[in-house]
Amino acid sequence: MQENILNQLNKVFKIKGQVKSPLRIKVVADKDIVSSILLYLKAQMGFIHLNHISCVDWIEDNKFELVYIVWHPEQKQTVLVHTFIDRENPVMENIDTIWDQANTYEREMREMFGIEFPGLVGDREFILEDWQEMPPMRRDFDTKRYAQETYETRPGRENARNVRLEIMKRSGEELPDFAKKYSRD
Amino acid sequence: MSLIDLKGILTPMTALKQIGKQPHTINFPDEQKDISPRYRGFHYNDLEQCIGCANCATICMNEAIDMVALADIEGQPGDSGLRPQIDYGRCCYCALCVDVCPSGSLNMTQDFIKVSPDPFDFLMVPGKDNPEGKEKLSFTAGLDTSLNVFDRVPMRELDPEERIKSFAEVFLGYNEEEARIEASRCISCGLCTENCPVHMHIPEYINAIAKGDDEAAIKIIYDNNDLPEMCGKVCTRRCEDVCALQVRGEAIAIRWLKRYATERAENADMIAEIVNPEIREPNQYKVGIIGAGPGGLTAAYYLALRGYNVTVYEASSEPGGMIMYGIPKYRLPYESVQKQVDYMKKVGVKILFNTRVGKDISFDEIYNNNDAIFMAIGLQDAWSLGIEGEEADGVWSAIDFLRKVNSGEKVDIGKRVVVVGGGDVSIDCSRVSRRLGAEVYQSYRRRIQDMPADLEEIEGAEAEGVHIMLQTIPTRVIKDENGKVKGLEYVKAEMISEGGGRPRPKPIEGSETIIECDAVIAAIGQKADYSLLPEHILAKLEMQKNKIVVDDNRQTSIPKLFAGGDAVVIGRNDAISAIADGYMATKAIDAMLMGERVKS
Repeated sequence: MQENILNQLNKVFKIKGQVKSPLRIKVVADKDIVSSILLYLKAQMGFIHLNHISCVDWIEDNKFELVYIVWHPEQKQTVLVHTFIDRENPVMENIDTIWDQANTYEREMREMFGIEFPGLVGDREFILEDWQEMPPMRRDFDTKRYAQETYETRPGRENARNVRLEIMKRSGEELPDFAKKYSRD
Repeated sequence: MSLIDLKGILTPMTALKQIGKQPHTINFPDEQKDISPRYRGFHYNDLEQCIGCANCATICMNEAIDMVALADIEGQPGDSGLRPQIDYGRCCYCALCVDVCPSGSLNMTQDFIKVSPDPFDFLMVPGKDNPEGKEKLSFTAGLDTSLNVFDRVPMRELDPEERIKSFAEVFLGYNEEEARIEASRCISCGLCTENCPVHMHIPEYINAIAKGDDEAAIKIIYDNNDLPEMCGKVCTRRCEDVCALQVRGEAIAIRWLKRYATERAENADMIAEIVNPEIREPNQYKVGIIGAGPGGLTAAYYLALRGYNVTVYEASSEPGGMIMYGIPKYRLPYESVQKQVDYMKKVGVKILFNTRVGKDISFDEIYNNNDAIFMAIGLQDAWSLGIEGEEADGVWSAIDFLRKVNSGEKVDIGKRVVVVGGGDVSIDCSRVSRRLGAEVYQSYRRRIQDMPADLEEIEGAEAEGVHIMLQTIPTRVIKDENGKVKGLEYVKAEMISEGGGRPRPKPIEGSETIIECDAVIAAIGQKADYSLLPEHILAKLEMQKNKIVVDDNRQTSIPKLFAGGDAVVIGRNDAISAIADGYMATKAIDAMLMGERVKS
């Protein structure tokens, strides 16, 4: 059955998929044909349910990876459609015309990763309120710095100690200045 | 309109089709649904198991976790004594802290309901404030799901058959890729530094290696260890005993990483260029150092850096003491020691070789001409077996045997050798004898788990074909008519536990066995030789069990005289303890001569 799915996708879209497990097929496709593949999967092959859309930040490669997960309820098969988009100018086709619930995922990705979906209907503000910083799920967002700047330290936390310093005090170790930049934060 | 309202009668009957179906009602009284098994509620920390490494506090991006001291928890080696305290105003229950906990003490519970008018109630020490959480653990980090890497990068080594053909180094060392991977496992908690006698800056240099900055690593390493390449190869590595990852997995290979970094500096010039230490202006003080072993060399190096006029008096013709003469070359090659000593000479350490104190120069002369003396003479005399026939030709003491082999002299031990002892030295003797072509039996009184030798060394010896005879006590050396060793008689022993302490071997009567052999090597420990010291010094010098009493500054009962190495009461008999003695004595001598009062 998985062979059939792979052959059919290969025939129509000239893409090679791979079987990840007895219930899971992975295909990697160019971003321009992703919506066609999804529509074909839904309308022609019975993958009527969109499970999820997920996003991975490959900061080293300057890419976002989008993963569309669709499901065939009768065959109990899952197909994962992977695609890569440019991280500098992240634009992806809106597919909430195929599945309504894609709208929610896309709004979340717009807010959390800064990916634009032209024609996407819905308030730009989704979960975050008055967000001024860069999209927070991007890997270059410094969560610790943000937490330090945004939240005050509540009373009762003054007795916190640094483990490294505590041990140095106990053992009498003297750390030279040139070594300090390699200590743990 | 019909007479009978047929519809009104029949329609209610459609309800009958529900007969036999599950009702859509809920039970009364209301049943509590089970909480999901991996639900992430409040944390629970097993305070006994926690080692206070602060990896949880470091990973927390919301800075919700503080490390605090608790009244009833004391720090000890391998435990900082601090425990995490969590601010639930900030915690987002992501459970990364659980994922990175090396000891597995931190978990999450199914508890998530807490109502209190007092905001301070939400600043909790898990485990202390919610002891009941132990029963409701939900999200835990097993070895398979933990984000720590518990497996060490294996060290490549020579094949055992290949090893016994020569004195080539057994361990091949990490290459760059292996070192970076291994260094990246470190969580930089620093618990290890406390167990190192000299408190090397371990997390810092490992971090430097992980970041690809080997030169910074070398500089950090040389800050308080002048023989790091030696330590990188043969250190007893107590640091690894308390590594945070060792609780559930394999400790970071701290020793191999140090070896990797220091071997990057291929010669003395490169070390000098990379370390580029700050050398103070020469001052008017002179310090005499007796013995060029690891203790003496360390004191000499760091005193020279502080501007003192340092002279080392060494009886042998080569530097290093026991690390040169006592450690076999397949563990520590000659060139490695030489390279490090050459570097020390570059920064102004003067070593007078072939100068035996008490013979070539008197102790008094050194004592009177110097402002301070550091004495690290080591343990040069072997303990004898104390059994019949041990004066026979072919009975060796370990120290003489290793010294002869390491000096390149020809040593005849025949075809079959029995080594007596269970420490690192005895294993060295066995493995050296294998390399000299002999069949080797090693006799040890106790069980294998009682052996003081490094497990890695014991395994190495067994792989090379050393037969370890456990629970055997030698009783008599058998000689032939020429006074040459012919065999060794031993009895078997059983282990007896009496009260506390480790079990004691008790000879089994009538179990005498004779093993034929051409040589017996006794590796059962050494003692110090104080014949270099004149009467009036010996009279004033406080001793305990044949070892010199020193305080934490390595100062003896004679204020001007400092001592270290194997012949003092503190520290273990290993090279890193000797280095620590030299380093601590340096600081104390510096403080004393520079006018600070060390002793109150």
